[in-house]
Amino acid sequence: MDRRDILAERPLESGRGFMPGVSVNPSRILFTAGLTGRGPDGNLVAGGMGPQARRTFERLQGILTRAEARFDNVVKQLVYVTDLDAYNASGRAERAKFFGTRPASTGLVVRRLADPNMLIEVELVVDLGGSAAGKPLLDKYNVENHGGDFYQGVIVNGGRLLYLAGQVANNPDGSVAGVGDWRRQAEKVYENIGHVLRAAGATPASVVKETTWVLSIDSWGPARTAVRRAFYKTDFPASTLVEIPGLARPEFLVEIEVIAAVA
Amino acid sequence: MPFSTIATPEAKPVANYKMATRMEGGRLLYISGQVAWDAAGNIVGKGDVRAQARQVFENLRGVLRAAGGDLANLMKITTYITRLEDFPAVAQARGEVFQGELPASTLIVVKSLFHPDFLLEIEGVASV
Repeated sequence: MDRRDILAERPLESGRGFMPGVSVNPSRILFTAGLTGRGPDGNLVAGGMGPQARRTFERLQGILTRAEARFDNVVKQLVYVTDLDAYNASGRAERAKFFGTRPASTGLVVRRLADPNMLIEVELVVDLGGSAAGKPLLDKYNVENHGGDFYQGVIVNGGRLLYLAGQVANNPDGSVAGVGDWRRQAEKVYENIGHVLRAAGATPASVVKETTWVLSIDSWGPARTAVRRAFYKTDFPASTLVEIPGLARPEFLVEIEVIAAVA
Repeated sequence: MPFSTIATPEAKPVANYKMATRMEGGRLLYISGQVAWDAAGNIVGKGDVRAQARQVFENLRGVLRAAGGDLANLMKITTYITRLEDFPAVAQARGEVFQGELPASTLIVVKSLFHPDFLLEIEGVASV
C-alpha cells in the first residue's frame, strides 16, 4: 500500500478531519455503495442524526472488514446529509470516532435520500493494496441481505478504472429525450451509458459504482427498476441514489454517473 | 497523461467536456471537494460566484501541483452548485482555466454545501 497525503500547503483541511487530496498506487480498490442508518430489520434506527450516523459507519465497517480493510485505508469519503445543522451537532462527532487517518472528502446537503427520514448517507473509496495477481477483475459482494438491486461493496483487482461523465437523456443532436417522461429518460440515460462503455471496451457488468441524481425519488423509483434490470441483468454495481433540486438543464430529470473497470 | 479519452458518436457530451476517461497508469489521486477558501480558511468572494469559482480552481490546481501534476491530469470533475443560475458564471471560469476540453464532468445542483456561504464545490479524480 503506497498512500500519500497531499496537503498542498493548506493545513486547514487537516484540522477538519480530512485531507485536500490523497493519492494511491492502485492495485486493488474497493468502492462501497452509499450506506445509511438502516437497522438489521431494514428500518432506520431511531433517534435522529447521531444514531443514524453511528449505524452508517458501523455498517461501512462491516463492508471494510469483508475486504480486510479498515477506515485508515479510506482514500475518499462522500457524505450526503439532508440536515447540515444536525450533522454538525451530532453526526460529525460520530464519524470522527471511526477514522484515524484522514481521507479526501466531499460533503453535500441534498434534498432527500432513499427514505424521507434518512438524514445521512456515506460512500467510500478504499485502497486495499495487496497483489491483484490471480484474482478476478471484480469481486462484488454483500454483507447484509438487503434485497436491493445493488452490491454493498465492489473490489477492483488490478485493471484500469474508467470514469464516465454524468450521463443524461440527450440525443446525439443535442435535444433532450423524454421531456417530462421519467421512464423514457431512464431508458435513454442507460442507453447512453451503454454506448460509452462499449466505446471504452467495457460492458454493463464492468460498472463498479453508480451514482444516480434525480429531481424526485418518488418518480424515479417506479421508472428505474425494469430499466436497470434490463441493463445490468443481475450484475449490479455498488450504488447511491440522491434527490437534488436541479441538474444542468431544467429538462433533465435524472443524471447517472458510473465508474467502471476494464482489464 | 497517464489516461486516455473515450468518445462515441452515439452519446455526445451536452457541453465542453469529455464523455469518459480511462486510467492507463500513474497514481490515482482523489481530491476533496474544493471550496472558495484561502489557505487561512477565509471565504473568498462571499456572494460572488465568479470570484469563488476562480478560488476553487486555484485550490484544485494547488492540490494537483502538490501531488506532482496539474489541471491536465484530471480525469473527472464533479461540480456542485447551489443555484442553477450560477452555472454560466461557473462555466465561464472553467473555460478560463481549462485550455481545450474539460475532463469527464458532472454538474449537480445541491440544496447547499457544508457552509451556507459556499456557492460551489468541485471535486476531482486525477491520474498523476
